[in-house]
Amino acid sequence: MALFGKTQTSPAVRTEPETALAGQWRVVVLNDPVNLMSYVVMVFKKVLGFDETRARRHMLEVHEQGRSVVWSGLREKAEAYAFTLQQWHLTAILEADETH
Amino acid sequence: MKRIEVRLSLAVVAPLLDVIKEAAVGLEQTLAAPPALQDLEAEFRTVWEGELLDAQNEDVRALLALFDGEFFSEGVVAFDADNAETVVRACAAVRLRLRARHLSGLTEEVLESGETELAKLPEAVRKAFMCYLFLATLQELIIQHLESSIIES
Repeated sequence: MALFGKTQTSPAVRTEPETALAGQWRVVVLNDPVNLMSYVVMVFKKVLGFDETRARRHMLEVHEQGRSVVWSGLREKAEAYAFTLQQWHLTAILEADETH
Repeated sequence: MKRIEVRLSLAVVAPLLDVIKEAAVGLEQTLAAPPALQDLEAEFRTVWEGELLDAQNEDVRALLALFDGEFFSEGVVAFDADNAETVVRACAAVRLRLRARHLSGLTEEVLESGETELAKLPEAVRKAFMCYLFLATLQELIIQHLESSIIES
């Protein structure tokens, strides 16, 4: 996948047994002391399509609680969001959503 | 196209460029924020990291390109919709690298607030911290004036 100069919205396609991708997954952003609050808000708006209010709410959750679940859904799309958030240098992890 | 020009003090900023360039060299082979995706299969993880690294290097090159002949002759750097996104992202990468390499002795409170007694820091740390603050200022300027360009791109 070429990434020169533009933000990609999905990582490289992989093949894997379908069962490994099944179920719901969460994209969780973890706190770091380096990235500016305004930067994190902007990234949430840019990458996840949040409006200002929602982006600020998740940013504050990351800042105050150390983490925020910013998206949940199918694994492949969760990976795409995690990849793009990492491209913006936020620490994003995936977690299986046990509630589904 | 909206464009902002920032006039910088050569005497203040020029010495920080060495710090940025050193960080840029370090980032050629290392991700600023290593992926925390332990459950990815090895092959996919390698591809993922390689693509992140390529993108990171492209961004950092755009940041370094700001400090060209015009900067040294006029003291001016310019941002517009074409470079805002890459530069703001590169600033984040370099700031993370500075933290990892030079600022690990500073508390999270200091890193978040940007406030500390500079005179008490060892010279290398002081220089890295000034660079860290300078890049944050660039990010704030870009976000304040060009956020819509970034989000819409």
